[in-house]
Amino acid sequence: MFSLTRRRVTGLMAGVALVAGLGAAQAQEDDIVIGGSIPLTGVFAFAGVAIEAGMQDYITQVNEAGGIGGRNLRLAYEDTGYKVDQSVAVFNKLTSQDEIHLYYGDSTGFAKTIAPELNRMGGMIMGGASFASELNDPEEHPYMFMAGPDYSEMIAILMEYIAEETPGAKIVLVNSDTEFGRDPIESSRAKASELGLEIVEEIITPPTAVDVSTEVLKLRRARPDYTIFHGYILAPLPEFMTQAQQLGLETKFMGTFWSMDSSIWDSVGEPADGFMGVMPYRYYYDEEADAPTMAKIREMRPEYQATGYMQGYLSAMLMAESARRVLDQGQELTGTNLKAAMNTIQDFDTGGLIGIPISIPGNSVPVGRVYQYSAAEKKMQPVSDWITVTE
Amino acid sequence: MIIGTAKETYRADAALLTTPPQRVWMAIFLAALLVLPFMLDAYWLYLVCLAMINVGAATGLNILTGYTGLVSLGQAAFMAVGAYTVAWLERDLGTPMLVNLAAAGGVAAAVGVLVGIPSLRVKGLYLAIATIAASFILHFVFVHWVPVTGGASGISVPPATFFGVELVTYFRLYWVILPVTALMVLGAANLFRTRIGRAFIAVRDRDISAEVLGIPLLRYKLMSFGIASFYAGVSGGLWAYFFRVVTPESFPLLASIFLLAAIIVGGMGTILGGIIGAIFMTLAPEMLRFVVEWVSPWVPNAGTLLSPLRTVVFGAMIVGFLVFEPQGIAEIVARVRRYFRLWPFRT
Amino acid sequence: MTDLLFLLEVSLAGLGSGALLSLTALAFVLIYKATRVINLAVGEILMLGSYLFFAFAAGMGLSVWLALPLAVAGGALTGAVVERGLIRPMLGESPISVFMVTVGLGSVLIGLVELIWGTDPRSLPPFIANTPVFLGEAYVSRKILVAFLVAAAVMAAFMLLFRYWRGGVALRATATDQAAAYSCGINVPGVFSAAWTVGCGIAAGAGVLLGAIGGISPSMGVFGLSALVVVIVGGLDSILGALIGGLALGLIQSWAGTYLGGEYQGVVTFGLLIVALMVRPYGLFGTHEIERL
Repeated sequence: MFSLTRRRVTGLMAGVALVAGLGAAQAQEDDIVIGGSIPLTGVFAFAGVAIEAGMQDYITQVNEAGGIGGRNLRLAYEDTGYKVDQSVAVFNKLTSQDEIHLYYGDSTGFAKTIAPELNRMGGMIMGGASFASELNDPEEHPYMFMAGPDYSEMIAILMEYIAEETPGAKIVLVNSDTEFGRDPIESSRAKASELGLEIVEEIITPPTAVDVSTEVLKLRRARPDYTIFHGYILAPLPEFMTQAQQLGLETKFMGTFWSMDSSIWDSVGEPADGFMGVMPYRYYYDEEADAPTMAKIREMRPEYQATGYMQGYLSAMLMAESARRVLDQGQELTGTNLKAAMNTIQDFDTGGLIGIPISIPGNSVPVGRVYQYSAAEKKMQPVSDWITVTE
Repeated sequence: MIIGTAKETYRADAALLTTPPQRVWMAIFLAALLVLPFMLDAYWLYLVCLAMINVGAATGLNILTGYTGLVSLGQAAFMAVGAYTVAWLERDLGTPMLVNLAAAGGVAAAVGVLVGIPSLRVKGLYLAIATIAASFILHFVFVHWVPVTGGASGISVPPATFFGVELVTYFRLYWVILPVTALMVLGAANLFRTRIGRAFIAVRDRDISAEVLGIPLLRYKLMSFGIASFYAGVSGGLWAYFFRVVTPESFPLLASIFLLAAIIVGGMGTILGGIIGAIFMTLAPEMLRFVVEWVSPWVPNAGTLLSPLRTVVFGAMIVGFLVFEPQGIAEIVARVRRYFRLWPFRT
Repeated sequence: MTDLLFLLEVSLAGLGSGALLSLTALAFVLIYKATRVINLAVGEILMLGSYLFFAFAAGMGLSVWLALPLAVAGGALTGAVVERGLIRPMLGESPISVFMVTVGLGSVLIGLVELIWGTDPRSLPPFIANTPVFLGEAYVSRKILVAFLVAAAVMAAFMLLFRYWRGGVALRATATDQAAAYSCGINVPGVFSAAWTVGCGIAAGAGVLLGAIGGISPSMGVFGLSALVVVIVGGLDSILGALIGGLALGLIQSWAGTYLGGEYQGVVTFGLLIVALMVRPYGLFGTHEIERL
């Protein structure tokens, strides 16, 4: 076998060199393409579907207004099922089909996997559904951004609010035993001691937890003023809150962005009343006067749009804005230029999607507001002003 | 038509490829592998590399399950051990790539032998369940042994370097993954020409008679676990270089099921089966992507059907092959070959 | 509040969730006892049951007391179909092949549920009251208590059935010696069918209870893995083992979660499994018939 193949192999090596020239040149279209690994199915589908809608709507809006420098935006995306290897497959597929300078990625795992490739290529910036604190590091991840505060900053916003309302409050942190859940624990401890808050208990729940009775008992023993959940979408929060109410616990429950969609709480009903959390954007039904973007969204979509929609919308807005600034300066669309342009975004008006003008000093938009769910109105209602955290 | 293969020496009888057509096809196949990376774009190259990594791991599992008859649902956990070994060595010691890969195999083999110890007490299903337990315990270790594994957020792996060349593109990595995988497959094929490999088969077919024949079960079962884990470890190491980040969530139980499904679909107990199965199971879900794209003009929201459909097809393939074609695709290939060997006289 | 009371409450919660484990384990045991198949799809049948309940109660607006038996019946029907269509043709194949068939089946069920109901986590319409129960001074979640009582009743019923009812005896006879059972005129294929039907029905029922406590999602089938630990530890063919094993595992998980931290639950569970396999591979109460070498 060996002598035979070896002979053939040497012969073929010559042929190989010929074929090497066949690097396929991609047809250059005029569109500015935003690539996307978006989870339309899988555990994160509820967000992915909304994100896609939000991005599409913003893109349509830009294109109707003449595009960016006469060039249309286009979203090229495929489903990932929220699995890292598929996200990477989609990334490779899209980048070999189109020239892509802007990308939307779906998970922390994907962002971390693709980061070295991004740094090597240097041709694009990437936003996404992950708010992992680790990605909010302009040194390590120069081409990443997130359209909101990272998870640590979300907890920090909640704590700023708590410190304002109840100085010296006792807090319990409940985190799921996943990368997502464990993300902000360290920084939360630091933030709490900085603000003079006391963390009286840290509860880690296994990802498969069904019954939370023992955790609720721990909660009762700790008697916190506030309980902050992170690393969950919905379950097991409702059961937690129901049991705590049964026990007559006074604690207030809080969550982070991905568990803040009001439609998921509608199905929970009464026990959800009073649930609070941090949300970087306005809700669909928030009808404050200074929000032309929100009015526009309501005009385009007559029915409720989830929080993921706003996230996708803002992501597309920041991408488009960066591209516009780069092109206005007559520069090339490269990762470095795009990111530099994005960092020049100062006191930028989102049209009310976020209530205050935003700036992007690093990789994140460290702004958010505390909302509270009202079961009677089936709505999230703001209970704080917009809070900006700075490192 | 080939009427028969007359073998005149024991060497010829034990050879891997016995007939001229086999040799020609193998040569064509190898040549194709060499030309392939020049023809493919990043997407296909990615899939091919991923398939090859899976081929290594599946071949290892095939040695354990297909040839020795010990069922393991922990192969992905051993891949994780290998991946972490490579990541740790790259991060903390910066040793050369080939050393890291060998170390990945070695560490995984050691862990595999440890996990294999229950195989002395229990077999069959119980063993499968013990390996599930082992993979959960390993997962726990990955999350909590923070100084080494980086905890929940894992380790980012610097690119592999080979004689000063940074292996950052799939194209370059291909030239590492291909020979390493080819070497592993060749090693597995040759293993079953030796005493050790034949002892494995004897253990599978009837362990009591194997012991009577003078095969120490303890040693050979553990050896099989060791070799299978070594394969998993090396593949895991390649995986680490390929994906460049290793986290505890990189290798879920589903990945172990995937590898077992790959050898079931491909054909247990044949080298070819491990290869075909791994390639097929890696590429088939991606092919579904094209099917979904193709039907999307007629089916509303076809995009949202993709992932559940993949899950269904994945399960249905396991069930379907077990019920209708228990010998896997390798058997289909063999049937086709038989057909052509006797053609046109008997069809 | 003393620490003793706290321990008591934690233990009660553990026993409650342990009862759910026992109930799910019962499904494993019934199926294994009759057909010598470890059905890894029990977890997914459980998930399917909770979704059927969701469909009947929330989707079609039926009363929960109608939806519950319908969900159980749906699970049972799935079990019957699976037995007839997939397991019967596999008779005589190696146990591993059949085991893998059930693994594949689990994947198919997950995919189908995702196709029909999507992947979003959902809550079941409430049908267990929320008012807390106090045993003495100790707090117990009512849902957990209900789960415990239901599980206890079902387990007791099955133990009695196995002891005194003809069908139960037939199942035990089949478990002991198939050929002998055949020659005594027992309809062995019928027993197989019945075991799968009843086993999957129980799993579906357990799914409804589980869903009422923790909400439902396509990935809730992993609960089956914990129940699998129970049956391995308790003995694959022993109902008593399932009962005691389930309660014990519930207690241990609860204590581990409380005194070590939630992240230790899994490792303690599976550590226990390894120890059990090393020390008593046939389980605490299982029939001592494992081939040992």
